[in-house]
Amino acid sequence: MAIDRTRIIDDLSQVRITGNGEGLIPLYGVFVQQVPAGFWNGFSRAIIEAAGEDLREAAESLLENAAAECGYHTGYGVITSEEFEAVVGPMIEKAPEDILHGVYGVMATWGWADAEIVELAPDEKMVVRARSYYEAETPGVQRPFAFMMRGVSRAFMDLAYGEPYPKGFGKFKCEQTKGIECGDPYGEFVVTRA
Amino acid sequence: MATTTRTSPCTSQGSAAEFKPEQTFDRSRMCHLVEGTVTVLHCHHYAALITQLALDAAQLDGPGLLMRASAEAFRAPLADYYERYGITETVDRIAIAEQYFAHAGLGQIRFECIDGAAAVTMRHSHVDEGWMKKWGPRGQPVNAIGRGYIQGACVAIYGLKDAQQVRVAETQSIVCGASVSKFVASWQE
Repeated sequence: MAIDRTRIIDDLSQVRITGNGEGLIPLYGVFVQQVPAGFWNGFSRAIIEAAGEDLREAAESLLENAAAECGYHTGYGVITSEEFEAVVGPMIEKAPEDILHGVYGVMATWGWADAEIVELAPDEKMVVRARSYYEAETPGVQRPFAFMMRGVSRAFMDLAYGEPYPKGFGKFKCEQTKGIECGDPYGEFVVTRA
Repeated sequence: MATTTRTSPCTSQGSAAEFKPEQTFDRSRMCHLVEGTVTVLHCHHYAALITQLALDAAQLDGPGLLMRASAEAFRAPLADYYERYGITETVDRIAIAEQYFAHAGLGQIRFECIDGAAAVTMRHSHVDEGWMKKWGPRGQPVNAIGRGYIQGACVAIYGLKDAQQVRVAETQSIVCGASVSKFVASWQE
């Protein structure tokens, strides 16, 4: 594996993003926004609290699905972008596995997580560990709360091993097995076939 | 901040204030900091799906929860920015609030404020245009995130105590086919 994660982060984290003359950020084939992490965390927490025990699983599932669709569409935009080709492209020796490793470097530069793949069985299973992720900073939660990490991780496996985009969504599922928000030293995410 | 009774709306016109946030990438936490606030990048798919989730959860006041989360998330960075850089004039505070909205990629917003009320126009809206890109137009407004931003901005601009003092209604929406989105905000000073 020739992916130089440090170099990816060095190169892409220096890009300063701001809205264009229309106040929009077209990037990677999508509109991007950059807002306080507390907004997303605050809404996730609020909707789960409002859902109560009866609807909690449904609310969590919808939050995870929003992240998965985001990861699938934006992830595709990222891996087919000129920026990705320029920075990560030369490092790719074995696709799609190296692309997957590279995507987690890009993910860090979006401020989502400091996460890496620690186990990968092509088209079967992926285990990701995250030393930090913004959802872990949600105050007052003690149960697994990393819906973004879960959603985007399964979406990345869909992009790698599912039917060609945009028909490959939903082939994998993801379980959060550890969480910083639960007192663990890192978050752990296990992706397997759905 | 001095308060005066105005007879004409206060806008950002004529302000020389420029939103120039300190932006850094914290390698130890792998996060972006905009004026010290942890900030993340997300796409319009995510904003649209979270908005849809909130709309579907109307029985739980989903749109209200989304609006309040937005107001709380944006009020503090704006208020901190005003304090840090000594921005005390309403005209300048409005200018910064408009530029912060655009910097965040949320669109192009303009405030016209007068005596406990604001008429707000969005010529571009990430939420509306992202929604339409994903699903097409909709018969009802969707921009709870924008309403929250307006609520939080009004609190920060006028130094109000509580976001709940500010009522915000969307009266015209890009997602419904209008050329611009319009909002009306009002509060007791």
